[in-house]
Amino acid sequence: MEEILVVDGVTKRFGGLVANNKVSFSMRRGEILGLIGPNGAGKTTLFNVITGVYRPDEGRVIFKGEDITGKPPHVITRKGIAKTHQIVKPFNDMTVLENAMVGALFGKRAHQITIGQAKEIARRSLELVGLADKADEFAVKLTLRQKKMLELARALSAEPELLLLDEVLAGLNPKEIEEALEIIKKVKVERDLSIIMIEHVMHAVMNIADRIVVLHFGWKIAEGTPEEVANNPEVITAYLGDPRYALRFVKRKGGGE
Amino acid sequence: MDLSILAINLVNGLLWGIILGFAAVGLTLLWGVMKVVNLAQGEVILLGSYVAIILFTQYGLSPLVGGLAALLVGLVAGFLIYWALLHKLVGKVERITLKIEMSTLLAMFALSIALLNFYYYAFGSEPRGFGLWSIGVPYVRVLDTTIRTNILLADALALISVAIVYLFLDRTILGKSIRAVMQDAQAASLVGINPVKIKLLTTVIGIGLTVFSGFMVLLFEASVTPEIAHKYAPLSFVVVVLGGLGSVVGSLVAGIIIGLIYGFSKVVVSLFNPRISDPVALSTAFIVLILILLFRPEGIFGRKR
Amino acid sequence: MAAGHDNEMGTKGSTLEHYLKSPTLLILVFVVLGILVARIMGMSTLDTIMTVMYFMGIALSLNIIMGFAGYVSFGHAVFLGLGGYAYVLMVYFIKPLADLQNTGYGLGAFLVAVLAGLFAAAVAASVGAAVLRLRGAFFAIATIGLDFTALYLFKAVVPELNPEQFFGAQIILPADRIVEKDLVFNAMFLTLVILLAVNYYIRKSPFGVGLTAIKEDEDAAEVLGVPTTMYKIVAFTLAGFFTGMVGALFSLNGGGVDETLFNLGHSIDMIVMIVIGGLGTVLGPVIGSLIYFELYDLLLVHYPGVNLIILGVIVAIVVLFFPEGLIGLLRKYRVRGVRLRDVLE
Repeated sequence: MEEILVVDGVTKRFGGLVANNKVSFSMRRGEILGLIGPNGAGKTTLFNVITGVYRPDEGRVIFKGEDITGKPPHVITRKGIAKTHQIVKPFNDMTVLENAMVGALFGKRAHQITIGQAKEIARRSLELVGLADKADEFAVKLTLRQKKMLELARALSAEPELLLLDEVLAGLNPKEIEEALEIIKKVKVERDLSIIMIEHVMHAVMNIADRIVVLHFGWKIAEGTPEEVANNPEVITAYLGDPRYALRFVKRKGGGE
Repeated sequence: MDLSILAINLVNGLLWGIILGFAAVGLTLLWGVMKVVNLAQGEVILLGSYVAIILFTQYGLSPLVGGLAALLVGLVAGFLIYWALLHKLVGKVERITLKIEMSTLLAMFALSIALLNFYYYAFGSEPRGFGLWSIGVPYVRVLDTTIRTNILLADALALISVAIVYLFLDRTILGKSIRAVMQDAQAASLVGINPVKIKLLTTVIGIGLTVFSGFMVLLFEASVTPEIAHKYAPLSFVVVVLGGLGSVVGSLVAGIIIGLIYGFSKVVVSLFNPRISDPVALSTAFIVLILILLFRPEGIFGRKR
Repeated sequence: MAAGHDNEMGTKGSTLEHYLKSPTLLILVFVVLGILVARIMGMSTLDTIMTVMYFMGIALSLNIIMGFAGYVSFGHAVFLGLGGYAYVLMVYFIKPLADLQNTGYGLGAFLVAVLAGLFAAAVAASVGAAVLRLRGAFFAIATIGLDFTALYLFKAVVPELNPEQFFGAQIILPADRIVEKDLVFNAMFLTLVILLAVNYYIRKSPFGVGLTAIKEDEDAAEVLGVPTTMYKIVAFTLAGFFTGMVGALFSLNGGGVDETLFNLGHSIDMIVMIVIGGLGTVLGPVIGSLIYFELYDLLLVHYPGVNLIILGVIVAIVVLFFPEGLIGLLRKYRVRGVRLRDVLE
C-alpha cells in the first residue's frame, strides 16, 4: 500500500482569508480521490498548492516520499503531477496537436525527447480522449467539451503518475458527462494513473471515486468512501447552506442513481 | 554648501512636478479604466502646446484663449481617437486581456509616429512659444531667485484642474461610473452601466486633459520642440506607475515627488560635477520607475490587488 | 515510402522533398545569397546593403523575445546603444583590440563585436531577471525606463572619459581605429547568418515551443512544465546580445557613436518591422524588414516630409486590421489543400 501523495497540515492564507486550514490527507497509488465542497471551500487553492502555483503558509506536500513543498510548478510537473484547469486555458493560436506537444515536451521526459517523439506522444493522448481528428485545428475553434478534453490530453501528454482534474465535467451535458467519465476510467487503467478530481457533478464523482475528501471554508470536514461521506451529518449541513447541492444530496439519498 | 541653492532647486522641482503630475492625469485614467497605455502621451501633450501657439502667432489670440481652445481640441481629439483607434480593439470586449492590451499599445504607438512627424513637418524642429508674453509682470522674486509668472499661472491652472477632475470622479454619477468600471468592469455592466459609453467618455476626458496639459507644459517650458515629447512621455509613465494606475491624486503627488527628487539629486550631483548634474538627475527618475515596478507595482497610492 | 514516413514523424526528414514542402529554410538561404550577390555584383551601394542588413538584424534580434515569447521590449534600443558604445570605447582605449578588429577579413571586427554583444547580454541577463517578472505594458514601460536610464547615464559619463576629445556623448573614431567598410560588411554578414540560424533553430526547437506557450498563456505554460522564468531570461539575453552586436557593427560602419543610438526611434523600427511581417515566425521579421526598408525608401522619395506620417497611418492599419502581420495573414489560407501555415513555419 504505497502512498503516492501526502498532504500534511497545509494552510494557505490570502490576506485575512484562510483558503486552506490545516488540511491533511493521503492517497494510495491507483486511487481516484474525489475532492468536493461548496464554492469557496478552497479546493482549487489546494490544487494550486500541490502543483506549486502557491506556496503554502504552513504544512508540507509529499509526492512519492519526496517533499515538494514550494517547488516551482514546472519542476513539480516534471516529477509527475499534471493538472487540468477549471477555466480552460488552451493555447489558442496553436493547433490541437501543438497544444498537446507542449505537455509532452515539458512533462515527465522534458529535455529528453525530440519534437518528433513529442508529436507521437501528443497524438496518442489525443486518440485517448477522442480528439485525434481535430489534431490540425486551431485550439480556439474547439467547442467547450473539446477544449476540456484538450486540457486532459495536454495533461496526459506530460505522462504523469498523478493527475489533478479541476471540474473537468462542469458545463457538459449529461451525455457528454457519461462519455467523459468513460474516458477518465479508460485512461486511468491504460496509464496506471492516480487521480484527484474536484467535481460539482455529484452523482458522477460519487460513482467514480474510491474515496472522497470534503472541504468546507478551508477545513477538511470529512473523508471516507462515497457512502460514508454522503451519510455524514456534517457534510449534509455544509451543503444545506447551498440549496442546489442539498437538493442533489437528498435526491441521491432518496432514490439513488 | 549654500542651503539656499538647495531650496531654490526644490522649489523649481515642486513647480515642475505639479505640471508633470497633471500631465499624467489623462494617462492614468486611460490606463486605469481601460488598460490603454497611451504611448502617444508626449505627442498628445504637444497637441495642446501647438494649438495655443498657432492661435497666438497666426491669429494673434491671447494665450489664455489658446489654452481654452487646447482643452476643446483635446476633447474632440479624444472622441476621434476612440472611434478611429480604440473602439475596434476594446469597445465590445468584457475583459481586456494581455493581448488586447498590447494591441492598443501598438495602436497608440502608431498614432505617436504619425503625430510626431506631423509636428516636424508642420512646425520644424526649432523652438516655438509665446515669446515675451506674460500675464502681469514677467517675473516675481522668491527667496534669492526669480520665477516666471507664467510658471505660477501654469501651476495654478494645473492644481485647479486636478481638483475639478477629482471632484468630478468623486461626486458625479458619471464620475462614479468611471470609477466603478475601473474597479470591476464586469460588475459595472451588471448594474447597468454602459461600458462603451464609459470607455468613450474616459477617452474623451483622458485625452482632453492630456492635450490641455500641453498648454501648461508650454507655459512652463516657455517654448517647445517636437523633441520634448520624448522627455514628457517617459516621465509621465514614471508618474503613473509611482502614483498607482487610475489615481488622480496619486498622479499629482507622484509628479511632485519626481520633481523634488530631480531638484534634490541635481544639487547633490552638482557638488561633485556640475556638468553632469542634469542627465544624472533625470536618470534618477527612471531608476525610481524600475524600483517601483519591481517592488510595489501597484504604486505608492494604489491598493494591493 | 521512407520519405513520407520521415515527414510524418517530423524527426529527421532530411530529404529534398521535405525541404520543398517546407521551404522556409530555402527562402532564408535565398535571402542570404541575394545579399551576397547584390554585394558581389555591385547591384546596390554598400551603404544600402548595410542598411538592409542592419534593419534585418535588429528585427531578428528583437524577434527572439517579442516574436516568440510575446514580450514587447519598447526600450530595446538600449542594447543597440550599449553594444555601440561598448565597441567604440573598447577600440578607442584598448590598442590590442583596435589592432584585432582589422585582421582576418572582418573576422577581427566580428570578434570585437562579440565582446560588445556580451556586454549588452550581461546587462540584459542581470536586469532581465528583474523586469521579466512584469507583464504586458508594465514590461514595455520598464524597458523604456531602462533605455532612458542608460541614455542619461552615458550622457553624463562619456564626456568625462576624455573631456578634450569627446564632444558631449559623441565619440568619433580616429582614422587608425576604424575598419574598412568592406570588412565591416563581412562581419555584419556573418552576424546576420548566425542570427538567422539562431532564429530558425529556436523556431524548430522545444525551446521555441516553450516560448510560444509563454506568449499564449504564461500561467498555463508554467503549470505544463515550461521553465518560464529561465526561458524568458535566456530569450531576453539572446535578444540583447545580438542587438548589441548589430549596434556595435553599425557604429563601426558609421565611424563612431553618439547618444542618438538610444533613441526610441530605433525601438520603433524593430517593432514595426516585426508587426508588419508577423509575430512568431522567422520569415516575419525578414520579410517585414525588407518591406519596411522599401516602404521607407518609397515614402521618402514620393512623399518627402510627410513620409513618416504615412508610415504611422500604415502601422495603425496593420495593427487594427491585420494584427498578425503579413505572414500571419498568409498562414490562414490554403493553396491546393496545402495549409500555408505548415509551409511558412
